Amino acid sequence: MQYFWLIPVISFIAFIITSLVGNKILKQAWIFPVVAIILGLGIYCFGLTEYLQSRFDLEHCVRSSVTGMVGCNYSVGWFSAGVTGKETVDSFLGFTVDPLSLSVAGLAIFVALMVQIYSIGYMKDDPRFGWYYSVQALFISSMILLALSDNFLLLYVAWELVGLCSYLLIGFWYEKPDAKEAAKKAFTVTRLGDVGLLIGVLLIWIEVGSFNMSDLFSYVASGQMESWVIFSISGLLFLGAMGKSAQFPFHVWLPDAMEGPTPVSALIHAATMVAAGVYLVARTYPLFVESEAMMLIVSIIGLITAIGAALICCVSIDLKRALAYSTISHLGLMMLSLGAFGYTAAILHLLAHGFSKALLFLGSGNIMHSIDDLDINRMGGLKSVLPGTTILFCIGALSLAGIPLLSGFWSKDEVIVSIVHNRNILFAISSMILVFLSGFYMIRLIITPFFGTQNRDYSNAHKLPMVMLIPMGVLAVFVVLFGWVALYMPGLPSSFGTFLFYSHPKNFHLEPDIASITLVVTLLSFGAGYLFYVKRISIFQTFKTRMKFLITIIENKYYFDELYQILVDKIVLPIASLVALFDRVLVNDIGINGPGHITRSIGSLIRYHVTGRIYVYLGLMTSGMIILGILWLWIVRL
Amino acid sequence: MAVDCEAMNDFYNIMAFAIIALPLITSLGFMVVPNLASRTCWLISSIVSLVTFGISVLLFVSYDTMIGGTQFGFTVPWLSQGINITFGLGLTGISASMVLLNGIVLLGACLISTDIETRGRDFYVLLLALGGGVFGVFLSSDLFFFFLFYELAVLPMYLLIAVWGSSTNFGSFNRSKEYGAMKLMMVLVAASVLIWIGIIAIYVETYMNGTPTFVFDELRILSESGLFSSGFQNWVFLCFMIGFGVLSGLWPFHTWSPDGHVAAPTGVSMLHAGVLMKLGAFGIIQIGIVILPLGAQTWMPLLMVLGIVNVIYGAVSAMSQTDLKYIIGYSSVSHMGYVLIGAATLNSIGLSGAVLQMFSHGIMTALMFVLVGAIYHRAHTRDIYVLNGLIKTMPHICVLFIIAGFASLGLPGLSGFIAEFLIFLGVIKISLWIAALAVLGAALTAVYILRLIARTIVGPVDPKLENLPDANKYEKIVSVAFASILIAVGVWPALLLDSINVGISSIMSVL
Repeated sequence: MQYFWLIPVISFIAFIITSLVGNKILKQAWIFPVVAIILGLGIYCFGLTEYLQSRFDLEHCVRSSVTGMVGCNYSVGWFSAGVTGKETVDSFLGFTVDPLSLSVAGLAIFVALMVQIYSIGYMKDDPRFGWYYSVQALFISSMILLALSDNFLLLYVAWELVGLCSYLLIGFWYEKPDAKEAAKKAFTVTRLGDVGLLIGVLLIWIEVGSFNMSDLFSYVASGQMESWVIFSISGLLFLGAMGKSAQFPFHVWLPDAMEGPTPVSALIHAATMVAAGVYLVARTYPLFVESEAMMLIVSIIGLITAIGAALICCVSIDLKRALAYSTISHLGLMMLSLGAFGYTAAILHLLAHGFSKALLFLGSGNIMHSIDDLDINRMGGLKSVLPGTTILFCIGALSLAGIPLLSGFWSKDEVIVSIVHNRNILFAISSMILVFLSGFYMIRLIITPFFGTQNRDYSNAHKLPMVMLIPMGVLAVFVVLFGWVALYMPGLPSSFGTFLFYSHPKNFHLEPDIASITLVVTLLSFGAGYLFYVKRISIFQTFKTRMKFLITIIENKYYFDELYQILVDKIVLPIASLVALFDRVLVNDIGINGPGHITRSIGSLIRYHVTGRIYVYLGLMTSGMIILGILWLWIVRL
Repeated sequence: MAVDCEAMNDFYNIMAFAIIALPLITSLGFMVVPNLASRTCWLISSIVSLVTFGISVLLFVSYDTMIGGTQFGFTVPWLSQGINITFGLGLTGISASMVLLNGIVLLGACLISTDIETRGRDFYVLLLALGGGVFGVFLSSDLFFFFLFYELAVLPMYLLIAVWGSSTNFGSFNRSKEYGAMKLMMVLVAASVLIWIGIIAIYVETYMNGTPTFVFDELRILSESGLFSSGFQNWVFLCFMIGFGVLSGLWPFHTWSPDGHVAAPTGVSMLHAGVLMKLGAFGIIQIGIVILPLGAQTWMPLLMVLGIVNVIYGAVSAMSQTDLKYIIGYSSVSHMGYVLIGAATLNSIGLSGAVLQMFSHGIMTALMFVLVGAIYHRAHTRDIYVLNGLIKTMPHICVLFIIAGFASLGLPGLSGFIAEFLIFLGVIKISLWIAALAVLGAALTAVYILRLIARTIVGPVDPKLENLPDANKYEKIVSVAFASILIAVGVWPALLLDSINVGISSIMSVL
C-alpha cells in the first residue's frame, strides 16, 4: 500500500510524455496513458489484496476511533511557510489508504482503463488524438490523487486539477461555439462552489491548525468544536461538493458538459469526477454527522436534485443529455442517502452507478459513432443495427432502474432502506416517486431508440470495432456481478458493509417489505413506460396535452439557464461596466486628470502676466517693491 | 579556512555590486559609443542581461537560509562629514527572490525586444538603466541609495513609453501613449515625493538624536530602542504606505498602471508590471514595516481594506474591458491587491504569501505581456471582439497564454495558487470576511480569464487572422522558460519559500 503514490505519478509521467510527443506519434499516443493505467491497476490490485488480507504495516496503519475503519497514512513534507515561533503552516503530500479511498480510486482506475481502451476506437480519426490522451492521463492522475489525499490542501489541489481536465475535455472540440461555452460554464459554475470549499478549508485550518483530515476528525470527536462552527464548515465544504456533483442549484453545467467527447462524459461526467462531491461528503462524514441540521440540508438538496433532474430526464430528447440528467438524479440520490445516514449505501451506489452509467455512456457513444446522431426521436429500431450495443445498454439501464440481481438493485435498495429508517415518511414517499421516475425514464431510453419503430435508413451506419465493444463487455460483467459484494466480498468473511462503514460494520440485509415495494414500483414504472411509449394509449396522450404547461416548464429545465443568463447579463455585466465607467470617469478623469487640468488652467491664467512688454514688467517690479517697502515699514514699526 | 571564507565573501560582494553596475555601465557605454546599430545593442544587452541573470541565480542559490539575515553586505562611506550617507549593499531572504525575479524578467524583456528598430540604441540605454536601477533598489542597504535607485528605475519609464509605446484607439475611447507616459510619470513622481518626505523625516529624527544615518540596520536598531515615537511613526508610515502603495497600484491611485501597461512596448510592460510594481510592496514590507512597526500596526486595517478593494475592483473592471492589455492591466491591479492584503496581515504566513505572490505575479504577468505583445505584433489589434480562434494560427502563443491565464486564476500546480493560498491563510487569521472576499476575487478572476480565452483563443477562426505566423524563437524560449518557472514554483514552492521564510523571520522579530 505504501506504493500507492506511484499510481498518480506514473499517470502524470504519461501525461508529460504524451503532451510532448503526442503529436508526433499521433496514432500511437494512447500507449503511454494506457500502459500507465494498467501499471496503476496492477499496483492497486496488489494494495487492495494486501488491505483485504489485513497485511497492515503497523507503523502507518491505525484503526480510526471515529470511523472504525483501518486507514493507512503515508506522507512527506511539501512546503512550509511562516516563521517558527510565530505562526507557521506546514503542508504535506500525503495519501491515505482506507476502504473509502480504495473504493473510489478503484472505480476511477478501472473505468478509466475501459474508457481509454474504448477511446482508441472512438477517437481514432481525431486530429487531436494525442492531446486527448494526454489530458486523459492528467485527469486520471489527479482523480486518483483526489481519492487518496489525506489532507484538505492536497484534496483541493486535486479537486481543481480534475476541474481543469474537465474544462479541457468539455472544450475538446473548441472550434464549436457550444463546446467552448459549455467548458467555460462548467469551470465557472464549479468554481463558484469551490469558493465555499476553499473557505471551508481555511476555516478548518484556523480551527484545527492542520489540513490533515484525521486531525480534524479527532478534533471534532473530542467535542471541542462549537456546533455552529461544525455547521458552517460542513456547509462550506458541501457547497464545493454541490458544485462538483452538480447538485441543485449548481446543476446547470453538467448537461452542457455533454458537448465533450462521449468517452469523456462516461469517465469524467458520469463515473468519477462528478462523484467527487459525494466522495467529499463521505470523506468528511465525521464532520457532517455532528450537525443534524446539515445532514437534513444534505438530504433535502439531494432529494430536490434527484427528483428535479429525473423529471427533466423523462422529457429530454437528446440521449446524452438525458443520461446526464439521470446522472444528476443519481448523484442527488447518493447525497440523499448520505444525509439519511446511509454511508455504506451511498458509496455502494456510487460504485454501482459508476459502472452502469459509464456503460450507458459508452453505449450512447456507439450510437453516436455509427449513426452520428443523438436525438432519440430520430432513432428507433436500433436493435437490428447495433445488437451488441442494445444488450449492453439494456444491462446498464436495467441495473440503474433497479432490476433485481443487477448491481444497481442492491445499492438502490440499501439506499431506500436507510431513507425509510432514518428520515420521515415524506422522504420515503419521495424516494418511491424517484424509483418510479428512474424506472420510467430508463425504460423510455431503452424503448424509444432501440425498440421503437424504425423511421430512418441505417444503411450508412458505421461498424463498431471490437476495441470499443470489449471494454463495454467487461464493464457489463461488472454491472451484473458487482452488486453481489453487498452480500459477499471475495477476500472478506462477509460483505461490503463490513468493509466500508461508518462507526460500526453492518451486514447487508434485504428487508423483504421495502424491497418488494421498490420492486413493485419499478415494475409499475416499466408498465407505464410500456403503455406510454409502445402502446401509446390515449389516456397518456390526453395527460400529455392537459399537462402541456408543466411539461413545457420541465422541458425548459425549469428555466434555470435563462435565470442565470439574466443574472449574468442584467446584473453582473452591467455592474462590471459600471465599475469600469466609474474607474474611467470618476477615478481617472476627475481624480487623476483633474489635478492635472487644474494645474494647467491655473498656469494658463497666470501666464497672462508674461506679456513681453517692458513697461508692464517695470510696473510690476515697482509695485512689488512698494508693497515690500510698506510691509517692511509696517513690521519695523510694530 | 577563515581566509577562504573572507575571499568567498569578497567574491559575493563583488557579484552583488556587479549585478547593479553592469547594466548601468553598459547603458553609459551605449551613450558614448557612436553609431551602434539596434541589432548590436540588442545583442549586447541580451548578453549583459544574461550575465546579470546568472549572477541573480548565483546570489539566490548562495544565500544561506540557515544563517539568514543580511548577507553579502558591505558598506562604503560616501558623504561622511556629519551627514553620514553610505553606499551599502546586502541581500536578505526577501530581496534574494526579488533579485532573482528581476534577473529573469530583465533577461526576458531584452530577448524579446527584437522588434525595436527606431532609435534602438536609446531604447537599450533606458531599458538597462531601468534594470540596473531595480537591482539597486532590491540590494541597497541604505535608504538614500535605495531612493536614488528607485528614481533611476522609475524615470526611464517615461521615455520608454512615450517614444516606443503604442496608442489605443477604440473609437469612443482614446488613450495616446504620451498621455499614458505622462500620467504614469506624474503619479509616480508625486508618490515618490511622499516617500522622500518620509525618508527625510526619518533622517532628521536620527539627526536630532545625534546619530544621523540612512542605513537600514542602524535605523532598525534605533527603532527598536524606541527612537521613533508612535505619533511620528503614524504619519511617516502613512507617507510610505501611500507612496509605495501607489507604485503597487493601490486603489484609488491605480489608474496609471493599466494605461501605462497598455501604452508601453512589450519589453517595458514586462518590466513594469513584472518588477516595477513589486518595488512598492517591497518598500512597504522591507522598509515600512521594519523601521516603523507601530505605524504599520496603526495603518494596516486601512491597507487591508484598500487591498481587498483592489482585488475585487480590479477583477470586476477587468471583466468589462475589451482590450487584451487592459484586461491584463486590471488583472495586475487585482493581483497586486493580494500582495497588499498579504502585507497588511502582519503575520508571517500572510507576509510570506505576499512575497511569493510578488514573485509569482511578476513571472506570470510578464509572460502574459510577452504573449499579448506577440499577438498584437502579428494581428495589429488587441480588441477581443476582433481576435478569435487564435489557437489555430498561433498554437504556441495560445497554449502558453492559457497556462498563464490559469496561473492567474489560481489553479493549483501553478505558482499563483500557493501564494494566494498563503495570503488567504494569513488574512483569515485577521478577518473571515476579508478572506471570503479574497477567495471570491479569485473566482472572479476565473470569470474574466475564461471569457478572454473563450473569446480570443478558442472558437472558429477568423479568415483574416488565418495566415499569421506563430511565435518567433526568442518569444518561444522566453515564454516556455517563464511557464516552466510558474509550474516549478507551483509544484515545489519550497524553492522560494525557504529563503522567503528566512526574510520574513527577520521582519517578524520587530513586530
